[in-house]
Amino acid sequence: MLTKKENLLETIRGGKPDRFVNQYEALGILVGDPLMALAGPMPNPGERVVNGWGVTMIWPEHVPGPFPVHDEAHKVLKDITKWKDVVKAPSTEASEEAWANYVEQARQIDKNEQFLTVFGAPGIFEQLHYLMGMDDCLINFYEEPEAMHELIDYITDYKIKCIDEIIKRIKPECLFQHDDWGSQLSSFLSPAMFAEFLLPAYKKYYGFCRENGIELIVHHSDSYAANLVPYMIEMGIDIWQGTMTTNNNPELIKKYGGKISFMGDIDNGLVDRADWTQENIRKEVERACRSCGKLYFIPCTTMGLPMSVYPGVYEAVSQEIDRMSKEMF
Amino acid sequence: MSKIQEVKNAVETGKTKVIAGLVQEALDAGEKANDILAAMIDAMGVVGDKFSSGEIFVPEMLIAGKAMQKGVDVLKPYLAGEASVSLGKCIIGTVAGDLHDIGKNLVALMIESAGFDVIDLGVDVPAAKFVEAIKENPDVKVVALSALLTTTMPAMKDTVAAIRESGLTGFKIIVGGAPITQEFADSIGADAYAPDAGSAAVKVKTLV
Repeated sequence: MLTKKENLLETIRGGKPDRFVNQYEALGILVGDPLMALAGPMPNPGERVVNGWGVTMIWPEHVPGPFPVHDEAHKVLKDITKWKDVVKAPSTEASEEAWANYVEQARQIDKNEQFLTVFGAPGIFEQLHYLMGMDDCLINFYEEPEAMHELIDYITDYKIKCIDEIIKRIKPECLFQHDDWGSQLSSFLSPAMFAEFLLPAYKKYYGFCRENGIELIVHHSDSYAANLVPYMIEMGIDIWQGTMTTNNNPELIKKYGGKISFMGDIDNGLVDRADWTQENIRKEVERACRSCGKLYFIPCTTMGLPMSVYPGVYEAVSQEIDRMSKEMF
Repeated sequence: MSKIQEVKNAVETGKTKVIAGLVQEALDAGEKANDILAAMIDAMGVVGDKFSSGEIFVPEMLIAGKAMQKGVDVLKPYLAGEASVSLGKCIIGTVAGDLHDIGKNLVALMIESAGFDVIDLGVDVPAAKFVEAIKENPDVKVVALSALLTTTMPAMKDTVAAIRESGLTGFKIIVGGAPITQEFADSIGADAYAPDAGSAAVKVKTLV
């Protein structure tokens, strides 16, 4: 029997996996590195905090997660042309004590079974709209492209500085980077606009990771983004996690398998809900596994971490994937 | 090309920097403000259709909306003297427990651009606030509810129930958002469902 890690590599390389890679099982994800803590902190339920970029984040108690506040009083960047006066990246100098704790966490990962994985969030696009709000951000791509390019470069350089520090400390094997690039039906940006603004930034960022020993790049975008897959390949993504069924994953696998792999096809909206049942999950997992097949595909919910909103859902999905492995392998 | 056609094209292609001048030129050429407005509404209809078909994306839709807004600003003093072309009032909001505003904002933009007066209640809106807003606006034609999270689907159901239980009538309820389907809309007693902002504007027009 292959290790979880070997099985993942066989799957994405078109080899001979002996079962489905079960969701995140092959990724030993370390969440919350010391630099992320400096860029945070994130609020707890009921709290409001200002993070390292100056973005006000709130988490009302009755809401499932934190959110940036973008009313006129709290928006960090009101005029993109003045970004140099306003935007200051957080410090990249964390205490040795904070690093020691993180290094210890890294040591706990069994690297025979799992890729030592750094978690990266937010992404470059997300950082842009955290700073100025989504509407302004998307309009600025049209109205102030030069300033947007400059700010993207600034954020990218900050991210490279962070990952460089992490690489020196723990030598990760995998980067799991979040950056949501679309809604469930379309990408936020047209492919042409994406190619102009985000592709060069990610080529630089992921290129740096690759050149410095990170062998696996997993990118999370729980959205439609089928029209961006050629750029994902170009920027060096090995696995696109979060791909929703609206992307027609069987078709994508047929078209791009071998160049990139797809992790998802089990929409959270369908399985991770108050009225979830094992039967419904079984149906969805079976559909995903049978339609997407054994290679270049990792069945997984579209959630961006190994967890679910409703207790028991993630485990129920894993159980059904194991069942499908027994049936199909 | 007629001046009105130029205005229409400028909205469709989001020419925010020239639209004000083009609208003024059309007015100076003797075009009626309402006709210019109707052309801009048509232009946004085209934008909505292109968005629904995947031909354009959110930035193109936003920039067209911004162009329309700038054009309307020029028209406003002239529109006051002409009969209104408003299709009626629409109350919109993201339901309680959900802070997502992008989808809701796009729908508000497209509905407003289609000729409705939009009252945007914002995000994380309790059911009671929707009911209150309907009471304050008895001439409302459409109430639009948005939810992005599976966790807030029950809040959407509760909101529809609270509105129905209030006994208030004379309007239709439309729902939408990532996890929402026609089936779910039917199950909670909504009058309509739209999968995206472009088709929401089209659907809302059929409800009045």
